[in-house]
Amino acid sequence: MTSGAVAVRASEMGEAERRELRAARGRGLVIALLGAGALWAASGAFKVAAIFSFWLLEQGGAAWTITTTVGMLWLVAGSAAIIIGGMQAGFGARFPWRQSLFVIAPLYVAAILGALLDGQVANMTGVFSGSLELAVPITLGALAGILSERSGMLNIAIEGKFLVGACAGAVAASATGSVLAGVLFAVLCGMAVGYMLAWLGIRHQVDQIIAGVVINIGAIGITNFIFLRVLAKNTWLNTPPTIEKIKIPFLSGIPVLGPLLFSGTPYLYVMLALLIFFSYMLFRTRWGLRLRASGEKPSAAATVGIDVIKIRYHSMLLAGALAGTAGSYLSLSSAGSFQMGMSAGRGFIALAAVIFGAWNPVGAFGAALMFGFSDAIQSLMSILGVDVPPQLLNSVPYIVTIVVVAGLVGRVRGPAAAGQPYTQG
Amino acid sequence: MTVWRRTILPALMPVLAVFTAFVVGSVFLFLTDIENLKHFPGDPVGTILAGLVNIGKAYSALVLGAFGVPAKLAAAMGSSDPKVIAGAIRPITETLVASSPLIFTGLAVAISFRTGVFNIGVEGQFIMGALGATVAVLALPDLPKPLLLILAVVIGTLSGALWGFIPGFLKARTGAHEVITTIMLNYVAAQVVLFGLRSDFLKPAGSSTPISKVLSTIVRVPLIFQLPAIRLHYGIVVALIMAVLVSWFMFKTTKGFELRAAGFSLMAARYAGMSAGGSIMLAMALSGGLAGLGGTLEVLGTVGQMSNDLSSGFGFNAIALALLAGNRPGGVVAAALLFGALRTGGGLMQVKTGIPLDLLFFVQALVIMFVAAPALIRSIYRIKVYSADGVTPQ
Repeated sequence: MTSGAVAVRASEMGEAERRELRAARGRGLVIALLGAGALWAASGAFKVAAIFSFWLLEQGGAAWTITTTVGMLWLVAGSAAIIIGGMQAGFGARFPWRQSLFVIAPLYVAAILGALLDGQVANMTGVFSGSLELAVPITLGALAGILSERSGMLNIAIEGKFLVGACAGAVAASATGSVLAGVLFAVLCGMAVGYMLAWLGIRHQVDQIIAGVVINIGAIGITNFIFLRVLAKNTWLNTPPTIEKIKIPFLSGIPVLGPLLFSGTPYLYVMLALLIFFSYMLFRTRWGLRLRASGEKPSAAATVGIDVIKIRYHSMLLAGALAGTAGSYLSLSSAGSFQMGMSAGRGFIALAAVIFGAWNPVGAFGAALMFGFSDAIQSLMSILGVDVPPQLLNSVPYIVTIVVVAGLVGRVRGPAAAGQPYTQG
Repeated sequence: MTVWRRTILPALMPVLAVFTAFVVGSVFLFLTDIENLKHFPGDPVGTILAGLVNIGKAYSALVLGAFGVPAKLAAAMGSSDPKVIAGAIRPITETLVASSPLIFTGLAVAISFRTGVFNIGVEGQFIMGALGATVAVLALPDLPKPLLLILAVVIGTLSGALWGFIPGFLKARTGAHEVITTIMLNYVAAQVVLFGLRSDFLKPAGSSTPISKVLSTIVRVPLIFQLPAIRLHYGIVVALIMAVLVSWFMFKTTKGFELRAAGFSLMAARYAGMSAGGSIMLAMALSGGLAGLGGTLEVLGTVGQMSNDLSSGFGFNAIALALLAGNRPGGVVAAALLFGALRTGGGLMQVKTGIPLDLLFFVQALVIMFVAAPALIRSIYRIKVYSADGVTPQ
């Protein structure tokens, strides 16, 4: 009786639904197989200790340690994967499998990390605060990308703005002896570059990708040129005062979280504040709605009286300011001077974070943290002398981005009108 | 009047773009000449004159470095001493050596732009091609030389083509934006090359620098002139043949027409029954293949050794170059010769006057900007625009 009813239901299913069910079962099987692999890895690894430690109050101080075995980590990861794989196969297309990956992935990362460390103690506070540090410029750059692309301007020039900001920040801070002046000048130069991009794209209708390429090549050329011709001989122009870390009273006293979140450079706090600010502005205010409307359907936005051109100029200026700030971080906070090509592709990683975070500030921050994490793990590995090809870890952010863009994991859709020139009719 | 509009004006715009870019470059040269500027408050006229002299010195070093010293060339005409001849023609041959990879990468970018795909990944495809050829040579060093050379060229070309095909495939199948995927693949390619160069298979025993074993002792692209210190090899000939082939393919064959149709309007091409996805994949594979061939000839002809800085921005320069050339193969050759001359001459300029070569990157960016935004040039030189009917000035 029941089986007959199921048979009827199955025959009533449309071709699309059946295909979805098949795909879901396939995914479930793949996830479950991954789980089986983890269990197999677990069977031989119960004798290897996995020790993760966290600093309690300050970097290098007393630590709190979690001790387990690599086998245990694999067991947890494998069981979770098998359960989720089974649920995916059972529930079919209704199961939120993309979200479930966020549960499985960290467990696997922990297990793989434990296996690689092979009994050595890993200090996770160092790794996490390293990830956070690395995430600062990427998040700021991604915010710049989100603002410009949400308003309808493709922005592949973040890398160029980083370089200009880093160079301008170092020179101004060295010349005046004030960090603040350096940051301010970096912001201004970033805005100038942003304005130029907007001017080429809007006023002259230059293809926005080409305009971005122009800015990137020009920025590399001019900053290298200034470094070699001016800064190399006049080193007093390239020895900026560095920005010190600030401990926030009370909050920095929270065990574990204190040294992680509340003892960073001012950039960290500014970045977090801007993240919250722009998330609110973009999605909860009239300004944000108008900005997003110009990026989705500029003609419709113009019909209801929105000045699309003005909004695009404004967002490009803001984006320039944000990317300039990120650039100043590179030369004023981490390195202590400007070096040629010091952005080292981080502007493009920021671009990746924009897409990865689905043009949402918080999502982009998450992506930036992930990219920072893979960087921090790599430096941990090289400190501990673990033999993993660094090129492999270095490629992870780029490969993951390609996978995401190709929609193999989750289809992300950008602002519909990004990259298309708009002429006011 | 018609001649002016149809022939001279289109050719004049790139020339004016390059000229204007150099003028702006000179301003930067002047403004960054700190030593000279220190005298400005006391002696403004003298400072400006000295600045102009410095700029003149720099640009003349650039020209001499790219084309050779006329007196030496004249002396070489009547001489039979190979050293004298080599010394005289070396700047010109070096310009050609620097131009040939640019012809390949420029053609690669031009094909993709004509098809409406922005292949920013030529840099990655170039080094992947070189890596493929390097692996082929080191894997089968005992093959007969000509066979090995042909095999390495084929494998290098295919490696580049594969690296170009990936983003083409992703674009056609999933709509993944090729600008993003090719930028990311550039970085992945750099990591793959670094990984390869750290492996025992490619690196000389005991070496820790990312440079491969010497390939030129096993096989190399034959040289055109047997003169001391002249590196010019048959790669430039292959490059010119490729320019002719690309021109024929794009403008005289059905497939080429389909690619250009996809470039004009993907939608229209689809309605005309052409496979837009197929065009994109073909264009990206061809583009990557050309870049890979360029990388192969660079590593097996010019350098003779694979390293992680084999390409000094050939792929990125190519974007500027293709735009300057209006994506025409003939224009690519001309623009590549210009850029090659800039690179070679820039080297002498750097040695003689201490002005960093990087100035030329900035000038290149300005060139693309002026070419991409012709209204800028028109407003500077007050050139009138004629509408399509050729009668009414706008």
